[in-house]
Order: sequence, then C-alpha cells, then structure tokens
Amino acid sequence: MEPVAVYLHIPFCQTRCGYCDFNTYAGVQQFIPAYVDALCREIEQVAAAAPAPLAGKTVFFGGGTPSLLSSPQISQILRCLSSNLDLSGCAEISLEANPGTVDEERLAGFLEAGVNRLSLGMQSANPAELSILDRQHQPGDVQAAVAAARNAGFANISLDLIYGIPGQDMDSWLKTLRAALELLPEHLSLYCLTVEEGTPLEEQIKNGSVQKPDDDLAADLFTAALELLNQDGFERYEISNFAAKRGGLLMTCAHNLTYWRNQPYLGFGAGAHGCADKVRTANVKPIPAYLSAVTSGKAKVFPAGPAAENIHCQSDWEIIEETMMLGLRLTGEGISARGFQTRFGRSIESLFPRQIQHLTARGLVEWDGETLRLSQQGSMLGNQVFLEFVGNRPPPDFQ
Amino acid sequence: MRTDKIRNFCIIAHIDHGKSTLADRLLQMTGTISDREMTEQVLDSMDLEREKGVTIKASAVRMLYSAKDGESYELNLIDTPGHVDFNYEVSRALEACEGAVLVVDATQGIEAQTLANLYLAIDSNLTVLPVINKIDLPSARPDEVADEVGSLLGFPPEEILRISAKEGINIDQVLEAVVRHIPPPRGDENEPLTALIFDSHYDPYKGVVAYIRVMQGSIRAADTLRLMAAQTDVKPVEIGIFSPNMKPTERLTVGDVGYVATGLKTVQECRVGDTFTSAATPAKAPLPGYRHPKPMVFAGIYPVENDDYSDLKDALEKLQLNDASLVFVPEKSQALNFGFRCGFLGLFHMEIIQERLEREYDLDIIVTAPSVEYEVVTLDGAVSRIDSPAQLPDEAIIQEIREPWMNLQIFTPTEFYGTVMDLVTKRRGSYKSQEYPAPNRVQLNFEIPLSELIVDFFDDLKSRTKGYASMDYSFLEYRPGNLVRLEIMVGGEPVDALTAIVHKEDAYHKGQRLVTKLKDIIPRQQFDVAVQAASGGRIISRANVRAMRKDVLAKCYGGDITRKKKLLEKQKKGKRRMKMVGSVEIPQEAFMAVLRLEED
Ligand SMILES: Nc1nc2c(ncn2[C@@H]2O[C@H](COP(=O)(O)OP(=O)(O)OP(=O)(O)O)[C@@H](O)[C@H]2O)c(=O)[nH]1
Ligand code: SF4
Ligand SMILES: [Mg+2]
Repeated sequence: MEPVAVYLHIPFCQTRCGYCDFNTYAGVQQFIPAYVDALCREIEQVAAAAPAPLAGKTVFFGGGTPSLLSSPQISQILRCLSSNLDLSGCAEISLEANPGTVDEERLAGFLEAGVNRLSLGMQSANPAELSILDRQHQPGDVQAAVAAARNAGFANISLDLIYGIPGQDMDSWLKTLRAALELLPEHLSLYCLTVEEGTPLEEQIKNGSVQKPDDDLAADLFTAALELLNQDGFERYEISNFAAKRGGLLMTCAHNLTYWRNQPYLGFGAGAHGCADKVRTANVKPIPAYLSAVTSGKAKVFPAGPAAENIHCQSDWEIIEETMMLGLRLTGEGISARGFQTRFGRSIESLFPRQIQHLTARGLVEWDGETLRLSQQGSMLGNQVFLEFVGNRPPPDFQ
Repeated sequence: MRTDKIRNFCIIAHIDHGKSTLADRLLQMTGTISDREMTEQVLDSMDLEREKGVTIKASAVRMLYSAKDGESYELNLIDTPGHVDFNYEVSRALEACEGAVLVVDATQGIEAQTLANLYLAIDSNLTVLPVINKIDLPSARPDEVADEVGSLLGFPPEEILRISAKEGINIDQVLEAVVRHIPPPRGDENEPLTALIFDSHYDPYKGVVAYIRVMQGSIRAADTLRLMAAQTDVKPVEIGIFSPNMKPTERLTVGDVGYVATGLKTVQECRVGDTFTSAATPAKAPLPGYRHPKPMVFAGIYPVENDDYSDLKDALEKLQLNDASLVFVPEKSQALNFGFRCGFLGLFHMEIIQERLEREYDLDIIVTAPSVEYEVVTLDGAVSRIDSPAQLPDEAIIQEIREPWMNLQIFTPTEFYGTVMDLVTKRRGSYKSQEYPAPNRVQLNFEIPLSELIVDFFDDLKSRTKGYASMDYSFLEYRPGNLVRLEIMVGGEPVDALTAIVHKEDAYHKGQRLVTKLKDIIPRQQFDVAVQAASGGRIISRANVRAMRKDVLAKCYGGDITRKKKLLEKQKKGKRRMKMVGSVEIPQEAFMAVLRLEED
C-alpha cells in the first residue's frame, strides 16, 4: 500500500472564537489524557485492521489547539504511531499552535518528540481585529512564540493570517503582512474570513453589532497580498498557501499537498476525516461519543476506525471529479495530463471536453495540453471553476 | 345491469368546498374502497394534487350501491376540479352525466364557481342535487346557506341535505337522493353505438386510455371501434370500468361510464370530444362533442441546457396526452435559443405544467413571463395575433394594438364592496353592474383587460377580502389599448425574452422598476453587466451589475472534502435555474420580474 498522510485531530481550545465552526470544545481540558489514550487505541485498531502494513509519509496535529497537549502527550501519540506505522520515510510532522499557549520549553519538548514543523495561528497583528475574532493572544505573543520556536530549533514555521475581518482596511492588512514577513516564516496561509452558519459572528452580523465583511475589499486585500508576498520571494502554490525557498527548496506543506493531490490519508480523533482505499470516512464529532466509541467499539473495515460514523465508498467517477476539484486548487502544479492519464487510464480532455472549452473561453483556466491550471483570475474565482467538475454524470463511455 | 338501475352523476362545487372528500365517503360507504385502502381525497392520485390538496384532473369511478328500496344500483361518479382554470374539465364531465351533486360549503356559502358550475350543469340539462357540506364546523351556518341555495335553485331549503363529508354525517342520504332524484340514462342498447370521449390519459402500456360514456348501443371487448371525427378504426387493447383503478370488463352498455384503452400513441388520434362508434355498424352522426378550450395565457418554455430540447419536447408531448388543454409550438428566441411557446388555461395551469416538467421529468427549464394574445393592426391594415411581446413588429409600422378584455364577476360579502371596486379600478377595469343573489352578498360585474387579471389578481382579491370573495371570468372582446413595447438590454444586447408590452403611461415607471429589480436578480458575473430598459427608441433606465471579484472557498479543513463538495454542489444547483444569454447568466426570476413591478 502506498504511504499515507496521517491527520490527528485535537479538539480542545481555551475558549471558543466567535467565527469558528471547527469541531472543537472549550473548557473540557480535563478530558485530554483520556483523549490521548483513545487516539492511541484508535491508531492501533485501524493499523491492525489494515490489509497490509501501513507507512506514514506525513503527520499533522490539527485542531482545535494541539499545543494545549503537553510534550509527553505528543510524544506518546507519536510513539504509538511509529510502532503501528512505518514512519521511516516520514519527512514532515506538523503541529498547529496558538501563540500564547507555547513557551520555549514546551516547544523544545515537541521538537524532541519528533515534531519538525510548526503552524502558528497568528491571524492578525492588529489587537482590535484579534479581539473581534475573540483570539486570546496579543500581537506580541506571536513574535515571542516564533522566537521561542527558533530558539528551540524549529526550522520550518508557518503562519496563518486572516483577511476580510470586519473593520480591517488595506493599511491594517499590509501592517499584518509586514509583521508576518519580518518573522521570516517558511510558509504562509492567508484565509479569507468566512461567516459560517450558526456561529456567534453570524449572529453579531445579523443583529448589526459587527459590520458585514465586504467581498470586494477582501478581493483588494488579497490582490495586494499577492504582490507583496511575491516581492518577498514567496511562491503561491495553492489558492491560499505560499511557500518560501530555503536552500533552493520550496517549503510547501507536504501534508496538505496530499489532500489536494487526492492521495490517501488517515484521520484519527473526534470528527476526523480520512480517505483511503476508495473509502471516505468521518468520525463522530463529540468528545464523549468518540471516547466511548473507541473504548467499546471495534475497527470496521479498513480504513474506518471504531469511531467512524460516516463511511462512504467512492465510485471511480467521484474520485475523478474530486481529483479535479482538489487538484485545480494547486495554482502552481495544477493537474498534469500525464499524471491523470496514468492514474485513471483516461485523458482529461476526453472526460471534460466541454468544461475545459468553457473555462478557457472564460479565461478562468489555462490548458496547454500538458497541464490544466487556474488562471490568475481563476484563482480568485475558484468556485466558478470547481463547480463545473462536481455533480456531473459520467460520460456514456465511462465504465 | 338494466339501464334504469344506473345513475351517472358528477360532483361540482367551488374550489375546496369538499368534492373530493365527499367522493371519499361515497366510495367507502359503497364498499368500493376498503377502509384500509382509504386515504384522504383518494381520487386525487397525482403527486401534485396530493401535495397542493387540489383536484387538477377529473376522475371517474363506478360504485355498486344497495339502496333502501332493496334494489342494487350502478353509480358512476365523476369528481371534478373546482379551480377556474379547469372549468372545461367540469363541462366535459357534465356531458357524461344526468345529474350533478352541487356541494356548497356551509361556512362560505355560494361562491363564484358555485354559480359558474351550476350554470354549466343547467345548460347541460342536468338534474342538480344541492348539498350543504362541512356542517361539523363551528362557523357553519347551514340554515342561511340553505336559504341562499334554495332561492337560487328554486328548491325548498328544508329539503336540502346537510352533511359533513369529513365526519361522514348524512352520507347515506346523499346516496339515496342520487338514486331517487337523478334520472337514469336514456338510450337504447339496440341502436348503433355512440360513446362520448369525455377525458383521457396516457398509459405507457395501453396507449391513450379514453374515458367514455356510452350513449347508445354497447361495446364488447373484441369489437373494432371507429373514432368518428378522426376517421380511424381501433382494436381496443381492453375495455373496462374504474373501480377506482382500471378494471377490465367484457362489455360496456348504454348508460355505462368506463374506458377504452386504445393502444394509440398520440392524442391527436383520439381526441376528447370525439365519438366512438362500431366499425361494423356505424352510427349516422357523431355526438355534439366539445368546444376545445382556448388557451388564455402564453409563455415560452426553454431548456436551460440547449441539449435538453428534445427531452423537453418529449415531456410536453407526454403531458399533452393527459392534458389536452395544453398547447405548444416550437419557438426560437434570440436570447434563449430553441424552446416552445405554450398556451395555458390560466396561471395556475401554467404553474402546474412547469412543476410537472421539473419534477416528473427532471428538466431544468426557464419559463418566460406569461402574456396574453394581442391583436396587432399594421399600417397596411393587416391584423395579426401575437402571443409573445417578442413577436411585436417594429413600432413604426404599427397602427394599433388590441388586447383581450374579459367579463369579470366578483362575488363577495357586501362589506368588501369598496376594496373590490378599488382593486379593479387600479387594474384598468370598469364597473358594469351589480346583483344581490343572496342576503349580504353582492355580485359585481366588471370589464377588465385579461393582462391585468392573470397576475396575482386572485391572490390580491383574496387577501383584500379575508378570503371571502371569489371570481369568475370569460372572454368579452378585443379592444384597442395604448400599448407600447418595453425592451430590456443586458450587456448591450436586447433580450427578446425579457420584452414586455405595457400601457404607455406605465412604461417609464415600469422600466425603472424593472431595471432595479433585474440589477438585484442577475448575479454578479465575471465582468460588469449593464442592464437597460428602452421604450419608443429611448433608454429609460440603466444600471450596472458589478463584476464578481472573488468567489473561492479558502480552506480545506482537516481533509473534510465532503463538506466543500456539498457547498459547491449547492452553488451549482443554483445555476441550474439560470440560462446563459450571450455571456451573461440570467436566473429564472429575471424572466418573471416584469410581472410584479407594483410591489414593495
Ligand atoms: N371540517 C370539514 N372539513 C371538510 C369537510 N369536507 C371537506 N373538508 C376539508 O376541506 C378541504 C377541501 O376538501 P376537498 O375535498 O379537497 O375539496 P375539493 O372541493 O375537492 O377541492 P378542489 O378539488 O381543489 O376544488 C380539505 O381540507 C378537507 O379536509 C367537512 O365536511 N368538514
Ligand atoms: S483557537 Fe482555532 S480552533 Fe480554537 S476556537 Fe479559535 S479558531 Fe477555533
Ligand atoms: Mg377535489
């Protein structure tokens, strides 16, 4: 079996941010030890049920706030992983951390445990914006966290930034970008604030206490960022992701590339998603349900673990459509005609002639016969492109 | 069964007065349907009928009833729709019957279609048996309503049956009254066959199934039949009765109501109103038949994807097999490409067809704003009929545009007199006369342009009168009007499907409103889109739909691809109701925007 990416979900936060609709919970940190044990049990069970020995190519601790776990807890999980999966070829172990939850000692412990890439939720350098987002840290905490990480020995640091925050203007956004660049990160992710259904932020916007973010301004902010990051030597390789070069090497996130290339990954933890052997899985979301499923349940057919509540077998056509929808997010590499042909035994043009013609005519994609990728405008209007590739019926000659 | 033991009757009423519910009780009481098989309004078998709680299509059913006189009777019942648009269904059903049970809601009293359908029944020489329904309701006023109905029909009020179809009160009396008061069919079994086709539906296995009433003679399953108007001979696949499902029989004889499954594939060959006779011993003359209903409103129906044109054609043909009042001809629009110009009996009929195309045939379609049929007189004196504003010739050569006017009767409690007057005047109608058919009730007679009637008039009337007013209308004449073309341009190109014909005084105001509405309805595209309205060669109004700058989901969180895909699928679904016009995507609502320019 080809090596898989491993996602570990840590659904704990100190407080809940008003815009966040992730599967995470505040005020239940007393469950962390039990949760870590459960994660290990889930890993063991899934590995035992696998048809062949598993190998991991990347590991990603996502959240929630994984940095709320102690370094011994991270170490416990990674040891469990490496005794159940072959991690000898695993080059990247990432961990998401919130500034203000980490000091040098803790970070050194993470590094010691095997973590080699840190993704910091910086979000903004403007205290007013951080407060609108309900983030617990101050701008200064980011500098401190990066310095501590560097001291501890981290050579691969990514910063997450959010734009389109209510009240944010161009000036403030450029300040945030410059503040981030000063920290010399290896990687940057720029996310546009989306007002998710059922969040307190949505409520605030509805009742008028917070101003609705403006789409056109967000477009301006993002366009400005493109220019600035480009000048600073960053390469945009995915719609929202930018990598710096170190020693001639582009510091992309190998773990996330797995998703976009539609390659296999396993997800462990409450609400975690996985996809391997043409099966998509999703675990139960609440922590108690997850704990009890893992303690009492048994692994189902691989890759579904004991806590899987959604198990969906993919048709070949679905896999193809998802490969298009995901692969096109990779603004740099796009979708290679040859790679596609090798993987599916069919050419892109034969399966999507109309879409390619339409979208090139609209100037949203570029197609030279070898690579299909988003144009500059297409990268701003990605949905217009992706939706052409979902929900289609397979062509009649497709078996 | 001897002819004198047969009773053929239909149930007629204003909409929602309880016809189908009464039919339920009759079916139950005669044991035609067991309690286990019973559902509410069991004869409303179409999905849409069940969902909307409205009868769209008449249905026939045979019941056997042992009367109190100790005799056994064959009762053929036809349940009819109450909505104005389906009036013609009623008039056809009446031709197959000797009697009509007129249901009147005890809380509402006489309403417009009570009268309209009653007059149809009287015109067809039927014996009318009034019943007052819903007496179980606390707000029922059976005595008052009995007086109203009694004076209308010249029937002693105390003899009018008072029932509750829902609660099953006094249903036995209805059956007894049918047997006693409605005459048996006349006719002679030994005469050459004449059987009237009063309805039809299409069955994929049995072809067009003709609903018939045998007027003279009889039919055996093996007979070769002749359609007298179509001049075709048919060897029936089967003949039978409705009980209530199709049940084959060997023989149908004079007075019977039943069906002939013809095996024919198109309605043109087997039209409602035609007469079956025997090929061996044909009758001399066909039965009078029906006037074909004339469509009142017209709209274009186009596939969203041009490739679906032939699927749409198939679907319309299939619908026509069950609904002969639907007419359509191919049409080409510059903006919407190939589609069909369809004629409907009214707006409700149009909505039903639209929904059936979408649901039963899974088609993505665009329907243009409904229009009436205009008469255009050009300078050379030639008169032509156009049923779409897009067909209007160049203004320079038009001498006159005439529009259809209707006689409108509104039936309302007297307290709403003022608000009804106001509504009609606002819509260019004029008052003619009034009558007081019952205490506290007034019938107001108006003349009004049909174009003012088709859009929301009825809803407006209902809401102004707390649901108490009802209306009926019929064609009066064509009259010249001060009408002009209102043209819409999107992205600099005129969009023929958005063209409207409006009253000259309204052109400016409506043009502005329309542009404002379209600006909100047309989603932002990849580029700026100008929306303009023009009339008489002058731009009246202009607005800009600004280009969409950003539309992309930022994050793919923790490998949760399913969620992202769902969002995209939802977005894509929204597009299913949009049509590419040039390079601009225009949603369905845009084509209807012109209809409702007065609101808000
Ligand atoms: N309370 C009460 N409600 C009734 C009675 N008869 C019918 N209804 C209700 O009135 C509504 C209309 O009944 P239908 O039988 O569908 O009326 P209809 O005349 O067939 O209506 P159309 O076919 O749409 O013209 C339904 O909600 C029935 O349940 C009755 O005797 N008492
Ligand atoms: S820290 Fe992150 S995961 Fe936790 S609540 Fe805030 S946004 Fe959500
Ligand atoms: Mg009914």
